[in-house]
Amino acid sequence: MARTISRRGLFAAAAAGFAAPTALGTGATGAAQAAQQPGSAGLPAVWGQDFLNQWSPPEHVPRDLKPGKSQLRLSAQVNPRLTAVKDNDYATFFSNLRAGGWSAVEAASDAWQSRPRPDSEIREVKAQAKANDVVFYALHCAGNIIAPDPEADRWQRHIIDTIHAAEAVGCELILTHAGSMYPNRNWAHPQNWSRESWTRTVNALKRICKDTAGSKVDIAIEAVNTESVNNPWAHKRLREDVGDPRITVGLDITNMVHPGVAFRMTELINTTFDLLEDQIRYVHAKDFVWNTMLPGINWAMNGTGNMDYEMFLVRLSRLKTNPYVLVEFLTENEEYAQAQRNIRAIAGKLGVGILGTQA
Amino acid sequence: MTTRLLMMMAVLVPAMAFAEPDFSGAWVRDGARSDVVPNTMYWLTRGVDAGGGRGRNTQTVVEVQQSAGRMRVADPARPPRMLILDGKPHAVPTDTGIQMATVVATMQGETLTVSTTQPFGGMPGNVSLKITETWSLSPDGKVLTVRTERELPASRQSFNEVYNRR
Repeated sequence: MARTISRRGLFAAAAAGFAAPTALGTGATGAAQAAQQPGSAGLPAVWGQDFLNQWSPPEHVPRDLKPGKSQLRLSAQVNPRLTAVKDNDYATFFSNLRAGGWSAVEAASDAWQSRPRPDSEIREVKAQAKANDVVFYALHCAGNIIAPDPEADRWQRHIIDTIHAAEAVGCELILTHAGSMYPNRNWAHPQNWSRESWTRTVNALKRICKDTAGSKVDIAIEAVNTESVNNPWAHKRLREDVGDPRITVGLDITNMVHPGVAFRMTELINTTFDLLEDQIRYVHAKDFVWNTMLPGINWAMNGTGNMDYEMFLVRLSRLKTNPYVLVEFLTENEEYAQAQRNIRAIAGKLGVGILGTQA
Repeated sequence: MTTRLLMMMAVLVPAMAFAEPDFSGAWVRDGARSDVVPNTMYWLTRGVDAGGGRGRNTQTVVEVQQSAGRMRVADPARPPRMLILDGKPHAVPTDTGIQMATVVATMQGETLTVSTTQPFGGMPGNVSLKITETWSLSPDGKVLTVRTERELPASRQSFNEVYNRR
C-alpha cells in the first residue's frame, strides 16, 4: 500500500478556489481524469446539462472486465457474531464461518470492548482464525467523532481505545466515519458539508492519529451519504488534509449513491477505484435500487440492483492485496447465503477469484 | 364408409396435430385463481416491501395479438413485447434499454414456452436471470394459464397466473 501523500492536489485546488476536487495523483488513469466534472466533485455532463440533471448514463460506457489476480475474502454479518460466541468456543465459530464460504471477519468495536479480553482468549481467537484460514481484520466503530461536545471527545477516545484493542488482537484496521453535526450520525445536519464540519472531522482525526502514533493499525474511513465524506474526491482530500498515511478508505460505494449517480454506477465505480485504489483497505458489498417517487433509494439483494457488480468485483480483483469484502445490511443468515451465491456466480463468470467455497 | 373415414382422418389429423394455439385476445387476470406475484423488478432487503406486485384483486388486462409467427403482448405493467415464435434466440433490449436480453419463443404442441435470459433488472453487471414462461389455453380456449419460473443463483421462484378471455 502506498504510504506517500501528495499535497500538490490540495494546493492546486485551494489556489483554484475549489472546495473538494484535487489534481489526480500520478497513479490515476485517463478514465478518472475524464470522469470528474471540472471544478466539482461529480461525474461529467452527458447531454442537455443546461436544462437536465445528468442522471442518465452516457452511451457505450467503457467496461473493461479483465480480472486481476487478487483473491477476495468474503466477510458477513451472519449470526452468531464474533462478539457473541458462547463459552469462547472459537473453534466452532471459525470452522462454521469458513464452511459457509466466509474467509474474513470483523467485530463491532463497542461489543468487542464491552468486557475485558484476557490474553488467553486473544490467543485462542488468533489460533482458531489461523487454523481455519479466516482473517480477523477489523474492529468496526459506529460512533460520531464530530458530535456536539462533549460527545465528540467521548467518541474520539473510543476510537483511540479501539485502535489499541485492534492492535492487541492483530486486526489490521479500524473503521470509522467523518461524522455528523447532529448527535445521531445517520441524521443529515444541514451544516455537515460546511467548512466548520470539515475542519472538525480533520481535527478529530489528527488527534486520533497523534494519540495512537506508532500504531500499525490503519484508520479506514467509510463514506456515508449523510456526512461530508460521501464521494471519492472527499475521501482523497480528507487523507491529504489530515496528513497521515494511516487514514485509508473503507470503501462503501453504495453509501455514496444519490440520484445523480444511481444509474451511473459503472462510471462512479471506475472513478473511485482510479482515485483511491492504493488507499482502499477493505470494502462493503451492498446493492440498491431507486424505486420510489422521492429519491427513495432502497437496499437490494446483491447483484440485482444498480451497483454493476461485474465492474465492482473486477476492480477489487485488481487491487494489490487480497481485499476483504464485507457483505452487510442484510437480515437473515439465509439472505447472506443468497448474496454470496450471487456474488460467487458473477465472479465465476468473470474469472474473479474468491477464497474458499460455499457449502 | 371406412375408407372414406380413413381418408378424412389422413387429411385432418395432421392438420389438427400441427395447429398452433392462438393466444390472441384480451385476457383479464383472475386474481382468485392466480398466485400472488411479488414485484419482480426489485429484490429489496431489510423487510422493505417494494409494492407493485400482483395480488388477489389485481384486474390486469393483457392484450395479445398473434399472427404470422409473431405475438405481440401488451401488459400494462411493462413495455410491449413482440415475440417471434420460431424457437430461435433473438437479442432484444431489456426494459431499461441499456442491456440486452436473449428471448426464445417456442410453440410445442398446445403450449408456448418463452425463455428470457438477461441481467437482473436489466442493469449492467447484475447476476443472470432466466425467466421461463409457459403459456397454455383451456380446451375451450376461454382460459389462459401462464406459469412463470424465475431462476438466478440466489433463488428460484415460480408462480401461476390465470386469465379469462374477455
